[in-house]
Amino acid sequence: MNAPLLKRLWQTFARSRVGRSIFRVGLPESNLERSQAMTSSFLLHIQPAKVHKHSLKAGYSLGLGLISLYLFFILIGTGVLLMFYYVPSTDRAYNEMKDLQFVVSAGLLIRNMHRWAAHLMVLFVMLHLCRVFYTGAYKHPREFNWVMGVGLFLLTLGLSFTGYLLPWDQLAFWAITVGTNIAGYAPIIGPKVKYLLLGGNVVGQEALTRFYALHVIVLPTLALIMVAVHLWRVRKDGGLSRPDESGDVIEQIPLGQLPTNKSYGLMELARGTTPQVGKNPEDEVFSWPHLVFREILLFLLVAAVVLFLAIFWNAPLEEYANPIYPPNPAKAPWYFLGLQELVSYSAFWGGVVIPGLLVTALVLLPYLDRARAGVGRWFARERVVANSIFTICLLAAIVFTIIGTYFRGPSWSWVEPWQQPPAITEGR
Amino acid sequence: MNPSTPNDPNDISRRGFFKLTLGWLAGTFAIIASAAGAVRFLVPNVLFEPSQIFKAGKPEDLADGSVTFLEDERVFLVRQGNTYRCLSAICTHLGCTVNRTEKGYHCPCHGSVFDDQGNVKSGPAPRGLAWFQVTLSKDNRLLVDKSRMVAADKYLVLPTKV
Repeated sequence: MNAPLLKRLWQTFARSRVGRSIFRVGLPESNLERSQAMTSSFLLHIQPAKVHKHSLKAGYSLGLGLISLYLFFILIGTGVLLMFYYVPSTDRAYNEMKDLQFVVSAGLLIRNMHRWAAHLMVLFVMLHLCRVFYTGAYKHPREFNWVMGVGLFLLTLGLSFTGYLLPWDQLAFWAITVGTNIAGYAPIIGPKVKYLLLGGNVVGQEALTRFYALHVIVLPTLALIMVAVHLWRVRKDGGLSRPDESGDVIEQIPLGQLPTNKSYGLMELARGTTPQVGKNPEDEVFSWPHLVFREILLFLLVAAVVLFLAIFWNAPLEEYANPIYPPNPAKAPWYFLGLQELVSYSAFWGGVVIPGLLVTALVLLPYLDRARAGVGRWFARERVVANSIFTICLLAAIVFTIIGTYFRGPSWSWVEPWQQPPAITEGR
Repeated sequence: MNPSTPNDPNDISRRGFFKLTLGWLAGTFAIIASAAGAVRFLVPNVLFEPSQIFKAGKPEDLADGSVTFLEDERVFLVRQGNTYRCLSAICTHLGCTVNRTEKGYHCPCHGSVFDDQGNVKSGPAPRGLAWFQVTLSKDNRLLVDKSRMVAADKYLVLPTKV
């Protein structure tokens, strides 16, 4: 055997008494061991031993869900580190931010990473949602997993919102003020929800404590549980969606013509909606190494991008929270600017009714659109109506976000971005 | 067991029925009671917040025709002749602090415009700015109660000194 030294050393260790007790299987060298590598490892057994070739096509899934998951991991890691310094106190939170920026070793870098990973996670969760829609992947049998995905999207937004409140700067204070006031517009329960969120009538220490608890334990725990269910369902619903998976394998391959020189038998063929349907063994490859290596590579890429952004662009920190004067203009992060633009027309319609209807539509979507055609292909012709409606909603959201970002100046007045913004003549 | 249908798998004895009913009722009650208790726990019973009633200085310190912004209370004190009023500076839209302009008030967050009586002129604000009750304390200070809203034409009228 002419394997490289490192590989030989690893194999010697993995096949030793201690190594076997930990890994069970060394570096796999046979197909049996490739299966065992997946099934005998706690971290790897979440994934199947074999995976459909179509699922590995980068051009199909674009890895968007996996990227979101990796960003979530980076957020947990950096977030736990930040917790060792952060104090959820209106007196101290802002100073801790300054300490992280100027005093703590690598404090600036870790805060920047947390911030960039958070923004990227919102972006990639949105892109993942779009991918699943445009490939029709939410259809039977994946309806419920789409609903879980919508829940995770909302949790991501909730985590971002509760997160940017914690520095207790101007953005934080006025975002809590505006955000909880929007909640107050909800019919019947609105004022009670607002009171519950703030822990009182004014934005102060109680509100910060509550948003802190939500940000560091309640929402991340919920998100972790839902991610686990989401991933488990991906496997149970038959792996990633792909075209023509409804075909009955037993009809496709006449029993008498099954190749006899293969190591699989009839037990690998199944009908109905079980995960095995459509998995012609010939279409599959072993997860080790084909899937695992791609995943590791993608993680390195995501980590590198986050690190790159964190090194060259600092997370902003506005002035210390001033409960008297809002900044002018007071703008939310980009992912809420479309909502803010809507709210600037009417808090009830733009802040409660339209977002409520959109979320309801997203949740009900897989139960309303029951056509089976066009699954597993981007922009399938059969789905032109659904895709058009979705695209119109998406474009509307983008247009509102662009207006909120570039066309709104002081006092939310209309400003053309290529013009000099008007001087602020009032307030501070 | 009822002897008339001994082999029906859906058959249920009276005792079994009560056991099932009681069990489900108890379980449902436990879940609802726990949830209600947890939510009730989160509703604070005591608030350590600034008083809604505050003294706003001597009436004569306000110039006639003046509108004075009190930062800490986020209100405007309005004096016209010997009448005194107090206008909330909190925008009814989403709670930002409004700024005074020549014609009235203007919210910097989403651009709501109010006239000098606090009525909405334009923008997303659903209601006019609130007017608060103004009284005179025993030691001759203006006393504002931010928990009591009054109509815009309610004034505190003080006798003019001759």
